[in-house]
Amino acid sequence: MLDWLDAFLISGFFGVLQIIGLGLLVHLQMGLSRVANFGVAGFWGLGLYVFGVLYIKVDWPFGDPFQFLICAFLATVASGLAGLLVAWLIADLDVDGALVGTLGFATVVLILATTQTELTGGATGLGGMRFPYDLGPAKTNEFVWVLITTVLVGAILLYVRWVHRSPYGRLLIAVGTNEPLARSLGKSTTRAKLTLFATTSALMGLLGAMQGVMFRFLNPATITINITLAALAGLILGGITRVWGAVVGVLFTVGLFDIVIQFYAPLPQEWFTQAIPVAREAVFGAALVLVLLFRPKGLLGEMKRPQLMRRIHDFN
Amino acid sequence: MADTITEPTTDTVLEVRNLRSGYGTVPVLNGITFDVRNEIFTILGSNGAGKTTLLATLARLIPVMDGSIHVQGQDVSNMPAYSTARLGVGYVPQESAVFPDLTIMENLSIGAMIGKRSTEERLEEVFDTFPDLRTKTHLRAGNLSGGESRMVACGRALMQDPQLLLLDEPTAGLSPLYVEQFFETIELIHKTRNVAVLLTEQNATKALGIADRVMVLSLGEGSEPLDAGDVTTERLKEAYKL
Ligand SMILES: Nc1ncnc2c1ncn2[C@@H]1O[C@H](COP(=O)(O)OP(=O)(O)O)[C@@H](O)[C@H]1O
Ligand SMILES: [Mg+2]
Repeated sequence: MLDWLDAFLISGFFGVLQIIGLGLLVHLQMGLSRVANFGVAGFWGLGLYVFGVLYIKVDWPFGDPFQFLICAFLATVASGLAGLLVAWLIADLDVDGALVGTLGFATVVLILATTQTELTGGATGLGGMRFPYDLGPAKTNEFVWVLITTVLVGAILLYVRWVHRSPYGRLLIAVGTNEPLARSLGKSTTRAKLTLFATTSALMGLLGAMQGVMFRFLNPATITINITLAALAGLILGGITRVWGAVVGVLFTVGLFDIVIQFYAPLPQEWFTQAIPVAREAVFGAALVLVLLFRPKGLLGEMKRPQLMRRIHDFN
Repeated sequence: MADTITEPTTDTVLEVRNLRSGYGTVPVLNGITFDVRNEIFTILGSNGAGKTTLLATLARLIPVMDGSIHVQGQDVSNMPAYSTARLGVGYVPQESAVFPDLTIMENLSIGAMIGKRSTEERLEEVFDTFPDLRTKTHLRAGNLSGGESRMVACGRALMQDPQLLLLDEPTAGLSPLYVEQFFETIELIHKTRNVAVLLTEQNATKALGIADRVMVLSLGEGSEPLDAGDVTTERLKEAYKL
Protein backbone atom coordinates (compact mmCIF):
# COMPACT_ATOMS: atom_id res chain seq x y z
CA MET A 1 0.00 0.00 0.00
CA LEU A 2 2.74 2.42 0.97
CA ASP A 3 5.15 1.24 -1.70
CA TRP A 4 5.91 4.79 -2.79
CA LEU A 5 7.16 5.57 0.67
CA ASP A 6 10.82 5.06 1.44
CA ALA A 7 11.38 3.58 4.90
CA PHE A 8 14.23 6.00 5.53
CA LEU A 9 12.07 8.91 4.46
CA ILE A 10 9.58 7.95 7.16
CA SER A 11 12.26 8.02 9.82
CA GLY A 12 13.69 11.27 8.43
CA PHE A 13 10.27 12.83 8.70
CA PHE A 14 9.79 11.43 12.18
CA GLY A 15 13.11 12.99 13.25
CA VAL A 16 12.03 16.39 11.95
CA LEU A 17 8.75 16.11 13.88
CA GLN A 18 10.59 15.25 17.08
CA ILE A 19 12.94 18.22 16.78
CA ILE A 20 10.03 20.56 15.99
CA GLY A 21 8.24 19.31 19.10
CA LEU A 22 11.31 19.84 21.25
CA GLY A 23 11.97 23.25 19.65
CA LEU A 24 8.40 24.37 20.44
CA LEU A 25 8.85 23.41 24.08
CA VAL A 26 12.27 25.08 24.38
CA HIS A 27 10.65 28.15 22.87
CA LEU A 28 8.41 28.41 25.92
CA GLN A 29 11.41 28.07 28.22
CA MET A 30 13.93 30.26 26.46
CA GLY A 31 11.78 32.45 24.22
CA LEU A 32 9.16 33.44 26.78
CA SER A 33 10.54 33.09 30.29
CA ARG A 34 14.19 33.22 29.15
CA VAL A 35 15.38 30.32 31.24
CA ALA A 36 18.28 28.72 29.39
CA ASN A 37 17.98 24.98 28.77
CA PHE A 38 20.94 23.15 27.30
CA GLY A 39 19.71 19.85 28.64
CA VAL A 40 16.87 19.16 26.21
CA ALA A 41 18.44 15.80 25.31
CA GLY A 42 18.36 14.88 29.01
CA PHE A 43 14.63 15.42 29.51
CA TRP A 44 13.84 13.77 26.19
CA GLY A 45 16.31 10.93 26.82
CA LEU A 46 14.96 10.33 30.31
CA GLY A 47 11.50 9.86 28.81
CA LEU A 48 12.89 7.54 26.16
CA TYR A 49 14.77 5.39 28.67
CA VAL A 50 12.12 5.32 31.37
CA PHE A 51 9.63 4.27 28.73
CA GLY A 52 11.90 1.65 27.19
CA VAL A 53 13.13 0.12 30.42
CA LEU A 54 9.64 -0.08 31.92
CA TYR A 55 8.22 -1.51 28.70
CA ILE A 56 10.85 -4.19 28.35
CA LYS A 57 11.94 -5.04 31.88
CA VAL A 58 8.63 -5.00 33.71
CA ASP A 59 6.35 -7.98 33.40
CA TRP A 60 3.10 -6.12 32.77
CA PRO A 61 -0.09 -8.09 33.46
CA PHE A 62 -1.78 -6.48 30.46
CA GLY A 63 -0.75 -6.03 26.86
CA ASP A 64 -0.81 -3.13 24.42
CA PRO A 65 -2.12 -0.55 24.05
CA PHE A 66 -2.34 -0.35 27.87
CA GLN A 67 1.27 -1.32 28.32
CA PHE A 68 2.27 1.53 26.03
CA LEU A 69 -0.07 4.01 27.68
CA ILE A 70 1.12 3.19 31.20
CA CYS A 71 4.82 3.26 30.27
CA ALA A 72 4.46 6.48 28.24
CA PHE A 73 2.54 8.06 31.10
CA LEU A 74 5.24 7.12 33.61
CA ALA A 75 7.94 8.39 31.25
CA THR A 76 6.08 11.69 30.98
CA VAL A 77 5.78 11.94 34.75
CA ALA A 78 9.47 11.08 35.27
CA SER A 79 10.62 13.80 32.88
CA GLY A 80 8.17 16.26 34.40
CA LEU A 81 9.50 15.59 37.90
CA ALA A 82 13.07 15.91 36.61
CA GLY A 83 12.10 19.25 35.06
CA LEU A 84 10.63 20.37 38.36
CA LEU A 85 13.79 19.39 40.22
CA VAL A 86 16.16 21.03 37.74
CA ALA A 87 14.04 24.19 37.62
CA TRP A 88 14.03 24.35 41.41
CA LEU A 89 17.83 24.09 41.40
CA ILE A 90 18.35 26.76 38.75
CA ALA A 91 15.36 29.03 39.51
CA ASP A 92 17.42 31.81 41.04
CA LEU A 93 20.59 31.35 39.02
CA ASP A 94 21.68 33.48 36.07
CA VAL A 95 22.10 32.19 32.50
CA ASP A 96 25.48 30.65 33.25
CA GLY A 97 24.09 28.77 36.21
CA ALA A 98 21.09 27.56 34.23
CA LEU A 99 23.40 26.44 31.43
CA VAL A 100 25.59 24.40 33.74
CA GLY A 101 22.61 22.96 35.62
CA THR A 102 20.68 21.80 32.56
CA LEU A 103 23.75 20.56 30.69
CA GLY A 104 24.82 18.72 33.83
CA PHE A 105 21.44 17.04 34.08
CA ALA A 106 21.63 15.84 30.46
CA THR A 107 25.12 14.49 31.11
CA VAL A 108 23.90 12.57 34.15
CA VAL A 109 21.11 11.00 32.10
CA LEU A 110 23.56 10.02 29.37
CA ILE A 111 26.01 8.54 31.88
CA LEU A 112 23.24 6.56 33.61
CA ALA A 113 21.97 5.24 30.28
CA THR A 114 25.47 4.10 29.41
CA THR A 115 26.58 2.67 32.74
CA GLN A 116 23.44 1.06 34.18
CA THR A 117 23.98 -1.91 31.88
CA GLU A 118 21.66 -4.19 33.86
CA LEU A 119 18.71 -1.95 33.16
CA THR A 120 19.52 -0.18 29.94
CA GLY A 121 21.82 -2.50 28.06
CA GLY A 122 24.53 0.14 28.26
CA ALA A 123 26.36 1.13 25.13
CA THR A 124 25.15 -1.91 23.19
CA GLY A 125 21.58 -0.87 23.80
CA LEU A 126 18.36 -2.70 24.46
CA GLY A 127 15.65 -3.81 22.06
CA GLY A 128 12.18 -5.25 22.39
CA MET A 129 9.74 -2.39 22.19
CA ARG A 130 6.74 -2.74 19.89
CA PHE A 131 4.09 -0.58 18.32
CA PRO A 132 1.02 -0.55 20.54
CA TYR A 133 -0.95 -1.89 17.54
CA ASP A 134 -0.28 -4.20 14.62
CA LEU A 135 -1.53 -3.20 11.20
CA GLY A 136 0.62 -5.62 9.22
CA PRO A 137 3.80 -4.50 7.50
CA ALA A 138 6.37 -2.59 9.54
CA LYS A 139 6.15 0.31 7.13
CA THR A 140 2.42 0.73 7.72
CA ASN A 141 2.93 0.64 11.47
CA GLU A 142 5.64 3.26 11.22
CA PHE A 143 3.57 5.44 8.93
CA VAL A 144 0.65 5.39 11.37
CA TRP A 145 3.05 6.18 14.22
CA VAL A 146 4.30 9.21 12.30
CA LEU A 147 0.70 10.35 11.92
CA ILE A 148 0.07 9.93 15.64
CA THR A 149 3.26 11.86 16.41
CA THR A 150 2.19 14.60 13.99
CA VAL A 151 -1.04 14.95 15.98
CA LEU A 152 0.97 15.16 19.21
CA VAL A 153 3.32 17.82 17.82
CA GLY A 154 0.30 19.67 16.42
CA ALA A 155 -1.22 19.60 19.89
CA ILE A 156 2.03 20.98 21.32
CA LEU A 157 1.86 23.80 18.76
CA LEU A 158 -1.70 24.60 19.82
CA TYR A 159 -0.61 24.54 23.46
CA VAL A 160 2.20 27.00 22.69
CA ARG A 161 -0.28 29.28 20.95
CA TRP A 162 -2.63 29.04 23.90
CA VAL A 163 0.18 29.90 26.33
CA HIS A 164 1.02 33.00 24.28
CA ARG A 165 -2.54 34.25 24.61
CA SER A 166 -3.11 33.31 28.23
CA PRO A 167 -2.43 35.35 31.36
CA TYR A 168 0.05 32.61 32.28
CA GLY A 169 2.05 33.26 29.11
CA ARG A 170 1.99 36.98 29.78
CA LEU A 171 3.41 36.29 33.22
CA LEU A 172 6.14 34.13 31.68
CA ILE A 173 7.10 36.95 29.29
CA ALA A 174 7.08 39.37 32.20
CA VAL A 175 9.36 37.04 34.16
CA GLY A 176 11.64 36.78 31.14
CA THR A 177 12.05 40.49 30.60
CA ASN A 178 11.96 41.89 34.14
CA GLU A 179 11.66 39.36 36.92
CA PRO A 180 11.87 41.82 39.84
CA LEU A 181 8.98 43.82 38.42
CA ALA A 182 7.06 40.63 37.68
CA ARG A 183 7.42 39.64 41.34
CA SER A 184 5.50 42.73 42.38
CA LEU A 185 2.43 41.66 40.37
CA GLY A 186 1.03 39.33 42.98
CA LYS A 187 1.96 35.93 41.55
CA SER A 188 4.96 33.83 42.50
CA THR A 189 7.41 33.98 39.63
CA THR A 190 9.29 30.98 40.98
CA ARG A 191 6.11 28.93 40.86
CA ALA A 192 5.47 30.10 37.29
CA LYS A 193 8.95 28.92 36.26
CA LEU A 194 8.61 25.60 38.06
CA THR A 195 5.21 24.94 36.47
CA LEU A 196 6.62 25.81 33.08
CA PHE A 197 9.59 23.48 33.45
CA ALA A 198 7.49 20.65 34.82
CA THR A 199 5.00 20.75 31.94
CA THR A 200 7.46 21.35 29.11
CA SER A 201 9.89 18.71 30.41
CA ALA A 202 7.03 16.25 30.80
CA LEU A 203 6.10 16.77 27.15
CA MET A 204 9.75 16.32 26.16
CA GLY A 205 9.63 12.99 27.99
CA LEU A 206 6.48 12.01 26.11
CA LEU A 207 8.24 12.80 22.81
CA GLY A 208 11.08 10.56 24.02
CA ALA A 209 8.63 7.72 24.59
CA MET A 210 7.28 8.21 21.05
CA GLN A 211 10.85 7.88 19.80
CA GLY A 212 11.23 4.61 21.72
CA VAL A 213 8.27 3.06 19.95
CA MET A 214 9.38 4.26 16.52
CA PHE A 215 12.88 2.81 16.73
CA ARG A 216 12.09 -0.06 19.14
CA PHE A 217 15.61 0.24 20.49
CA LEU A 218 17.44 2.09 23.27
CA ASN A 219 20.85 3.43 22.38
CA PRO A 220 22.77 6.06 24.35
CA ALA A 221 24.13 7.49 21.08
CA THR A 222 20.64 8.91 20.36
CA ILE A 223 20.44 11.02 23.52
CA THR A 224 23.55 13.15 23.07
CA ILE A 225 23.81 16.93 22.88
CA ASN A 226 23.15 16.73 19.12
CA ILE A 227 19.43 16.62 19.90
CA THR A 228 19.69 19.75 22.03
CA LEU A 229 21.73 21.55 19.40
CA ALA A 230 19.34 20.65 16.59
CA ALA A 231 16.35 21.94 18.57
CA LEU A 232 18.15 25.12 19.62
CA ALA A 233 19.63 25.87 16.19
CA GLY A 234 16.23 25.42 14.53
CA LEU A 235 14.47 27.53 17.11
CA ILE A 236 16.98 30.39 17.05
CA LEU A 237 17.05 30.33 13.26
CA GLY A 238 13.27 30.51 12.98
CA GLY A 239 12.79 33.03 15.76
CA ILE A 240 13.13 32.16 19.43
CA THR A 241 10.22 34.34 20.53
CA ARG A 242 7.78 33.28 17.80
CA VAL A 243 5.12 30.59 18.02
CA TRP A 244 6.08 29.22 14.58
CA GLY A 245 9.81 29.83 15.04
CA ALA A 246 10.72 26.23 15.80
CA VAL A 247 8.58 24.90 12.95
CA VAL A 248 10.10 27.19 10.32
CA GLY A 249 13.64 26.93 11.67
CA VAL A 250 13.69 23.14 12.00
CA LEU A 251 12.25 22.70 8.51
CA PHE A 252 15.03 24.89 7.14
CA THR A 253 17.77 23.00 8.99
CA VAL A 254 17.01 19.42 9.91
CA GLY A 255 14.24 19.21 7.33
CA LEU A 256 16.44 20.50 4.54
CA PHE A 257 19.23 18.07 5.27
CA ASP A 258 17.50 14.96 6.54
CA ILE A 259 14.66 15.02 4.02
CA VAL A 260 15.31 17.23 1.02
CA ILE A 261 19.03 16.67 0.49
CA GLN A 262 19.01 13.13 1.82
CA PHE A 263 16.26 11.93 -0.48
CA TYR A 264 15.87 14.31 -3.34
CA ALA A 265 19.30 15.74 -4.07
CA PRO A 266 21.06 13.88 -6.91
CA LEU A 267 24.32 13.45 -5.03
CA PRO A 268 26.78 10.55 -5.21
CA GLN A 269 25.83 7.82 -2.76
CA GLU A 270 29.14 7.86 -0.84
CA TRP A 271 28.65 11.54 0.07
CA PHE A 272 25.76 10.63 2.29
CA THR A 273 27.86 8.57 4.66
CA GLN A 274 30.82 10.93 4.88
CA ALA A 275 30.50 14.46 3.52
CA ILE A 276 26.83 15.19 4.22
CA PRO A 277 26.77 14.60 8.00
CA VAL A 278 29.79 16.89 8.40
CA ALA A 279 28.39 19.48 6.01
CA ARG A 280 25.11 19.31 7.92
CA GLU A 281 26.67 20.45 11.20
CA ALA A 282 28.83 23.05 9.42
CA VAL A 283 25.87 24.52 7.54
CA PHE A 284 23.74 24.60 10.72
CA GLY A 285 26.52 26.51 12.44
CA ALA A 286 27.06 28.89 9.52
CA ALA A 287 23.33 29.50 9.11
CA LEU A 288 23.07 30.29 12.79
CA VAL A 289 25.95 32.76 12.63
CA LEU A 290 24.49 34.46 9.54
CA VAL A 291 21.02 34.74 11.03
CA LEU A 292 22.33 36.10 14.31
CA LEU A 293 24.41 38.64 12.40
CA PHE A 294 21.80 39.86 9.96
CA ARG A 295 18.52 38.95 11.58
CA PRO A 296 19.21 38.52 15.28
CA LYS A 297 15.58 37.82 16.13
CA GLY A 298 15.47 34.90 13.69
CA LEU A 299 13.87 34.51 10.27
CA LEU A 300 10.40 35.38 11.54
CA GLY A 301 11.66 38.37 13.49
CA GLU A 302 10.46 39.78 16.76
CA MET A 303 7.44 38.68 18.74
CA LYS A 304 4.24 40.20 17.34
CA ARG A 305 1.97 40.55 20.31
CA PRO A 306 -0.75 42.76 18.74
CA GLN A 307 -1.61 40.12 16.14
CA LEU A 308 -1.53 37.31 18.66
CA MET A 309 -3.65 39.22 21.10
CA ARG A 310 -6.15 40.66 18.64
CA ARG A 311 -9.00 39.52 20.83
CA ILE A 312 -8.08 41.58 23.87
CA HIS A 313 -7.18 44.64 21.80
CA ASP A 314 -10.64 44.69 20.32
CA PHE A 315 -11.84 45.48 23.81
CA ASN A 316 -13.07 48.94 22.85
CA MET B 1 -15.83 59.05 66.70
CA ALA B 2 -14.68 60.40 70.04
CA ASP B 3 -11.45 62.23 70.60
CA THR B 4 -9.19 60.96 67.84
CA ILE B 5 -6.28 63.28 68.45
CA THR B 6 -4.40 60.91 70.73
CA GLU B 7 -5.65 57.84 68.90
CA PRO B 8 -2.66 56.15 67.25
CA THR B 9 -3.38 56.52 63.56
CA THR B 10 -6.00 53.88 62.94
CA ASP B 11 -5.92 54.44 59.22
CA THR B 12 -2.20 53.76 58.94
CA VAL B 13 -1.60 51.92 55.69
CA LEU B 14 2.15 51.59 56.00
CA GLU B 15 4.25 51.47 59.13
CA VAL B 16 8.03 51.51 58.80
CA ARG B 17 10.21 51.07 61.89
CA ASN B 18 14.02 51.40 62.06
CA LEU B 19 14.30 50.03 58.59
CA ARG B 20 17.76 49.06 57.42
CA SER B 21 18.40 47.68 53.98
CA GLY B 22 20.88 47.87 51.14
CA TYR B 23 22.86 45.79 48.71
CA GLY B 24 24.93 42.81 49.80
CA THR B 25 26.03 43.50 53.35
CA VAL B 26 26.36 47.28 52.91
CA PRO B 27 23.33 49.15 54.22
CA VAL B 28 22.05 52.15 52.27
CA LEU B 29 19.19 52.90 54.66
CA ASN B 30 20.25 53.23 58.28
CA GLY B 31 17.10 52.98 60.33
CA ILE B 32 14.15 54.76 58.74
CA THR B 33 10.93 55.27 60.66
CA PHE B 34 7.66 56.73 59.35
CA ASP B 35 3.98 56.02 58.84
CA VAL B 36 1.82 56.59 55.81
CA ARG B 37 -1.91 57.13 56.28
CA ASN B 38 -4.48 57.72 53.58
CA GLU B 39 -2.54 60.66 52.17
CA ILE B 40 0.08 61.66 49.63
CA PHE B 41 3.38 61.20 51.39
CA THR B 42 6.49 62.41 49.61
CA ILE B 43 10.06 61.32 50.20
CA LEU B 44 12.42 64.11 49.20
CA GLY B 45 16.03 63.37 48.52
CA SER B 46 18.83 64.14 46.15
CA ASN B 47 20.42 61.69 43.76
CA GLY B 48 21.79 58.67 45.58
CA ALA B 49 19.95 59.42 48.82
CA GLY B 50 18.37 55.98 48.84
CA LYS B 51 14.86 56.73 47.56
CA THR B 52 14.84 53.88 45.06
CA THR B 53 16.34 51.53 47.63
CA LEU B 54 13.60 52.48 50.10
CA LEU B 55 10.72 51.91 47.67
CA ALA B 56 12.17 48.65 46.36
CA THR B 57 12.55 47.47 49.96
CA LEU B 58 8.95 48.40 50.71
CA ALA B 59 7.87 46.47 47.60
CA ARG B 60 9.90 43.58 49.10
CA LEU B 61 12.31 43.35 46.21
CA ILE B 62 15.31 44.07 48.46
CA PRO B 63 15.74 42.12 51.72
CA VAL B 64 15.19 43.82 55.04
CA MET B 65 18.38 43.82 57.15
CA ASP B 66 16.80 45.13 60.29
CA GLY B 67 13.63 46.80 61.49
CA SER B 68 10.12 46.14 60.21
CA ILE B 69 7.55 47.01 57.57
CA HIS B 70 3.84 46.63 58.25
CA VAL B 71 1.23 46.96 55.52
CA GLN B 72 -2.36 47.25 56.73
CA GLY B 73 -1.16 46.03 60.11
CA GLN B 74 0.52 42.91 58.70
CA ASP B 75 4.24 42.37 59.05
CA VAL B 76 5.63 42.01 55.55
CA SER B 77 9.33 42.21 56.51
CA ASN B 78 9.85 38.57 55.55
CA MET B 79 7.13 38.25 52.96
CA PRO B 80 7.85 37.66 49.28
CA ALA B 81 7.03 40.51 46.92
CA TYR B 82 3.98 38.78 45.47
CA SER B 83 2.31 38.35 48.87
CA THR B 84 2.98 41.98 49.66
CA ALA B 85 1.35 42.96 46.37
CA ARG B 86 -1.67 40.89 47.40
CA LEU B 87 -1.96 43.01 50.55
CA GLY B 88 -2.53 46.00 48.29
CA VAL B 89 0.88 47.42 47.46
CA GLY B 90 1.22 48.67 43.88
CA TYR B 91 4.77 49.48 42.85
CA VAL B 92 5.92 51.69 39.98
CA PRO B 93 9.72 51.63 39.76
CA GLN B 94 11.78 54.55 38.52
CA GLU B 95 13.26 52.66 35.58
CA SER B 96 12.09 49.73 33.43
CA ALA B 97 8.58 50.13 34.76
CA VAL B 98 6.79 48.44 31.85
CA PHE B 99 7.22 45.09 30.14
CA PRO B 100 8.58 46.18 26.75
CA ASP B 101 7.59 43.06 24.77
CA LEU B 102 3.96 43.22 25.86
CA THR B 103 1.38 45.59 24.41
CA ILE B 104 -0.18 48.36 26.48
CA MET B 105 -3.29 46.23 26.92
CA GLU B 106 -1.23 43.29 28.12
CA ASN B 107 0.80 45.49 30.45
CA LEU B 108 -2.44 46.67 32.01
CA SER B 109 -4.13 43.26 32.08
CA ILE B 110 -1.17 41.67 33.82
CA GLY B 111 -1.95 43.90 36.80
CA ALA B 112 -5.36 42.26 37.13
CA MET B 113 -4.05 38.82 38.11
CA ILE B 114 -5.02 39.61 41.70
CA GLY B 115 -8.20 41.05 43.09
CA LYS B 116 -11.85 40.24 42.55
CA ARG B 117 -13.26 42.90 40.26
CA SER B 118 -13.50 42.16 36.56
CA THR B 119 -10.62 43.16 34.31
CA GLU B 120 -13.00 45.16 32.08
CA GLU B 121 -14.25 47.24 34.98
CA ARG B 122 -10.71 48.06 36.08
CA LEU B 123 -9.57 48.81 32.53
CA GLU B 124 -12.45 51.22 32.08
CA GLU B 125 -11.32 53.14 35.17
CA VAL B 126 -7.69 53.22 34.06
CA PHE B 127 -8.73 54.57 30.65
CA ASP B 128 -10.81 57.22 32.43
CA THR B 129 -7.70 58.21 34.37
CA PHE B 130 -5.34 58.05 31.38
CA PRO B 131 -7.55 58.71 28.31
CA ASP B 132 -4.49 58.80 26.03
CA LEU B 133 -4.01 55.07 26.49
CA ARG B 134 -7.47 54.08 25.30
CA THR B 135 -6.70 54.24 21.59
CA LYS B 136 -3.18 52.82 21.83
CA THR B 137 -3.83 49.51 23.55
CA HIS B 138 -2.26 47.46 20.75
CA LEU B 139 1.09 49.29 20.82
CA ARG B 140 4.21 47.56 22.08
CA ALA B 141 5.11 49.13 25.42
CA GLY B 142 8.82 49.12 24.54
CA ASN B 143 8.17 51.69 21.81
CA LEU B 144 6.40 54.26 23.97
CA SER B 145 7.66 57.69 25.00
CA GLY B 146 8.77 58.31 28.58
CA GLY B 147 5.47 59.92 29.52
CA GLU B 148 3.40 57.18 27.96
CA SER B 149 5.34 54.40 29.68
CA ARG B 150 4.87 56.20 32.97
CA MET B 151 1.11 56.21 32.38
CA VAL B 152 1.14 52.52 31.46
CA ALA B 153 3.19 51.63 34.54
CA CYS B 154 0.94 53.67 36.77
CA GLY B 155 -2.14 52.18 35.09
CA ARG B 156 -0.82 48.68 35.64
CA ALA B 157 -0.31 49.38 39.34
CA LEU B 158 -3.89 50.72 39.53
CA MET B 159 -5.15 47.53 37.87
CA GLN B 160 -3.96 45.76 41.04
CA ASP B 161 -6.59 47.72 43.02
CA PRO B 162 -3.91 48.87 45.49
CA GLN B 163 -4.39 50.42 48.92
CA LEU B 164 -0.91 51.91 48.74
CA LEU B 165 0.76 53.15 45.59
CA LEU B 166 4.57 53.38 45.58
CA LEU B 167 5.74 55.79 42.86
CA ASP B 168 9.48 56.20 42.39
CA GLU B 169 10.21 59.64 40.90
CA PRO B 170 7.08 59.46 38.74
CA THR B 171 7.85 62.64 36.81
CA ALA B 172 11.62 62.40 36.41
CA GLY B 173 12.62 63.28 32.87
CA LEU B 174 9.16 64.45 31.80
CA SER B 175 8.62 67.85 30.18
CA PRO B 176 7.32 70.54 32.61
CA LEU B 177 3.86 70.51 31.07
CA TYR B 178 3.59 66.76 31.50
CA VAL B 179 4.87 67.00 35.09
CA GLU B 180 2.05 69.22 36.20
CA GLN B 181 -0.53 67.09 34.46
CA PHE B 182 0.89 63.91 35.97
CA PHE B 183 0.87 65.32 39.50
CA GLU B 184 -2.76 66.38 39.01
CA THR B 185 -3.58 62.85 37.91
CA ILE B 186 -1.88 61.44 41.00
CA GLU B 187 -3.93 63.74 43.22
CA LEU B 188 -7.08 62.67 41.41
CA ILE B 189 -6.20 59.01 41.85
CA HIS B 190 -5.62 59.55 45.55
CA LYS B 191 -8.91 61.37 46.04
CA THR B 192 -11.24 59.31 43.89
CA ARG B 193 -9.82 55.88 44.66
CA ASN B 194 -9.05 56.44 48.29
CA VAL B 195 -5.56 55.07 47.80
CA ALA B 196 -2.56 56.16 49.85
CA VAL B 197 0.34 57.40 47.73
CA LEU B 198 3.99 57.24 48.69
CA LEU B 199 6.13 58.97 46.10
CA THR B 200 9.72 60.07 45.84
CA GLU B 201 10.97 63.30 44.32
CA GLN B 202 14.21 65.24 44.02
CA ASN B 203 12.73 68.68 43.55
CA ALA B 204 11.28 70.18 46.75
CA THR B 205 9.09 72.75 44.99
CA LYS B 206 7.47 70.15 42.78
CA ALA B 207 6.94 67.79 45.68
CA LEU B 208 5.38 70.33 48.04
CA GLY B 209 2.70 71.18 45.50
CA ILE B 210 1.14 67.77 45.77
CA ALA B 211 2.17 66.28 49.12
CA ASP B 212 0.24 66.18 52.38
CA ARG B 213 3.44 65.39 54.24
CA VAL B 214 7.08 65.18 53.26
CA MET B 215 10.08 63.42 54.69
CA VAL B 216 13.62 64.23 53.66
CA LEU B 217 15.91 61.29 53.04
CA SER B 218 19.56 62.07 53.31
CA LEU B 219 22.61 59.90 53.91
CA GLY B 220 20.42 56.91 54.54
CA GLU B 221 18.43 58.56 57.30
CA GLY B 222 14.97 60.09 57.28
CA SER B 223 13.94 63.40 58.79
CA GLU B 224 10.91 63.85 61.00
CA PRO B 225 7.92 63.94 58.58
CA LEU B 226 6.66 67.50 58.07
CA ASP B 227 3.21 68.72 57.10
CA ALA B 228 3.60 70.16 53.64
CA GLY B 229 1.89 73.37 54.74
CA ASP B 230 4.44 73.96 57.49
CA VAL B 231 7.50 73.49 55.37
CA THR B 232 9.81 76.47 55.21
CA THR B 233 13.23 76.78 53.61
CA GLU B 234 14.84 76.69 57.06
CA ARG B 235 13.08 73.52 58.06
CA LEU B 236 13.98 71.91 54.79
CA LYS B 237 17.64 72.87 55.15
CA GLU B 238 17.59 71.49 58.66
CA ALA B 239 16.06 68.27 57.38
CA TYR B 240 18.68 68.03 54.67
CA LYS B 241 21.29 68.54 57.41
CA LEU B 242 22.77 71.39 55.46
N1 LIG C 1 22.08 47.63 42.67
C1 LIG C 1 22.89 48.32 43.51
N2 LIG C 1 23.98 47.73 44.03
C2 LIG C 1 24.78 48.40 44.90
N3 LIG C 1 24.58 49.67 45.28
C3 LIG C 1 23.51 50.31 44.80
C4 LIG C 1 22.60 49.67 43.88
N4 LIG C 1 21.63 50.55 43.56
C5 LIG C 1 21.91 51.68 44.24
N5 LIG C 1 23.03 51.54 44.97
C6 LIG C 1 23.61 52.56 45.84
O1 LIG C 1 22.69 52.87 46.86
C7 LIG C 1 22.66 54.25 47.10
C8 LIG C 1 21.25 54.78 46.98
O2 LIG C 1 20.82 54.63 45.64
P1 LIG C 1 19.32 54.86 45.21
O3 LIG C 1 18.44 54.18 46.18
O4 LIG C 1 19.19 54.48 43.79
O5 LIG C 1 19.18 56.44 45.37
P2 LIG C 1 18.12 57.44 44.76
O6 LIG C 1 16.99 56.64 44.19
O7 LIG C 1 17.70 58.29 45.89
O8 LIG C 1 18.81 58.24 43.71
C9 LIG C 1 23.63 54.89 46.13
O9 LIG C 1 24.83 55.15 46.81
C10 LIG C 1 23.84 53.85 45.08
O10 LIG C 1 25.15 53.91 44.59
MG1 LIG D 1 16.17 56.60 42.40
